[in-house]
Amino acid sequence: MRVQFKMDGGFAYLPDRVAPVTIDTDELPEEEASELERLIEAAGFFDLPETSAAPRGAADYLRYTISVASPEQSHTVHFTDPIEDPDLQALVEFLEDKTR
Amino acid sequence: MRQQPGHRHSIFCILPPHVLRDIARTGTEEQREAALDTLAADPTFRTLRAIRLAAPVASASTATVSLSAKVGTSEAKQLQRAVFDCDNRRRLPGHPVRTEGAPATNDDAVDEAYDGLGATYDFYWEMLRRNSIDNRGLPLNGHVHYGRRYNNAFWDGQRMIFGNGDGVLFNRFTIAIDIMGHELTHGVTENEAQLIYQDQSGALNESISDVYGSLVKQYHNGKQSAEDADWLIGEGLWADPARGEALRSMKDPGSAFDGDQQPAHMSDYVSTIDDNGGVHINSGIPNKAFYLAATGIGGYAGTKAGPIWYAALRDPRLKPDASFVQFARLTVINADILFPGGPERQIVREAWEQVGVVLPKRSDPT
Repeated sequence: MRVQFKMDGGFAYLPDRVAPVTIDTDELPEEEASELERLIEAAGFFDLPETSAAPRGAADYLRYTISVASPEQSHTVHFTDPIEDPDLQALVEFLEDKTR
Repeated sequence: MRQQPGHRHSIFCILPPHVLRDIARTGTEEQREAALDTLAADPTFRTLRAIRLAAPVASASTATVSLSAKVGTSEAKQLQRAVFDCDNRRRLPGHPVRTEGAPATNDDAVDEAYDGLGATYDFYWEMLRRNSIDNRGLPLNGHVHYGRRYNNAFWDGQRMIFGNGDGVLFNRFTIAIDIMGHELTHGVTENEAQLIYQDQSGALNESISDVYGSLVKQYHNGKQSAEDADWLIGEGLWADPARGEALRSMKDPGSAFDGDQQPAHMSDYVSTIDDNGGVHINSGIPNKAFYLAATGIGGYAGTKAGPIWYAALRDPRLKPDASFVQFARLTVINADILFPGGPERQIVREAWEQVGVVLPKRSDPT
């Protein structure tokens, strides 16, 4: 499974850091690979809407783009702060940690 | 909560607009305040002005309420702060840790947010006669320790939210007072103009937050003059000071840190899909224009340049999809309204020209 993660925008927006980072679960330690797969599953990733708008009047929010491609399916979602769903929060925090 | 009608000295109520304007320009501090207050709130004058400018008359929900606030009297202040601790989670609101009037907590993020909210409220109240974000005393809520190593601060449409930074790239996002001013000002902009957060209107939205964030900082520093101010946004935010002094420079866009890509002129406008069309990048252009206007006018920038930009923000002709040049035109027009016959109008026009935003020769209607 290949996961691509990108963060965009924000109060301290840095254009240099906007390139997406790709994680290949085949290249992760087994525990981490399982954890990532679990998080993607728990977040109901493949059923998430492709895009979600920022709340009305919001500003300086971060925009996230996550793409997941497996042999069976692939999906890309775009969403912003604030992330309401705790499972999606957990997935984002995992990806942030791996791509710092 | 309805705003009480303002009290005005009775003498000022009977003076015709042109006399009031003279007093507004040349009177004592107290006289000028009373004259400006009367001019702004007087419905006849607003009607005359609107007709003269061939613009629709502002509805009661805009000018009247906001300008009828009592001048400088403490009983009209409605500062109501609350700071919440998100405990390093992304769940909002978190638990309340400091409410209005409570003492300092020794948690830097909490106390900085609390002080920053207060300074922003005080600035808007004293310098622009605005009672909080909605001009009706909206409670000001800040949420700190949001997420884990969260390198950001944002306005979610209702409240300000601050991360601690990761300590590698950034420190905590309450570290500079202008950051609180910046975030709260997004609330003001949404309340007044609803500038769309995309492309040029979005860069204007961002710039307005940097402008008033800076004015709050300068206010807090004792109403520093434009010459003395550093015009830096987010000073101290970089975890590694070698990277840079601040996040943005209004005085010299592109110089705040190693890798700063802000333009200072339209010829360097960045067309991009990222960052909602580069709203945090292209804000450098209107930021520089404000800096030039403020230094051109002189003194503390919150005295004249701030009100000019504020009047443009609240001008009924400012549309949510406004471009730089459309906003610039309204700053020039409003410089003339606020300071008729003064040098401000030309200074503002030239400030925009210097950043490549050139107004057509006749920028106001006959």
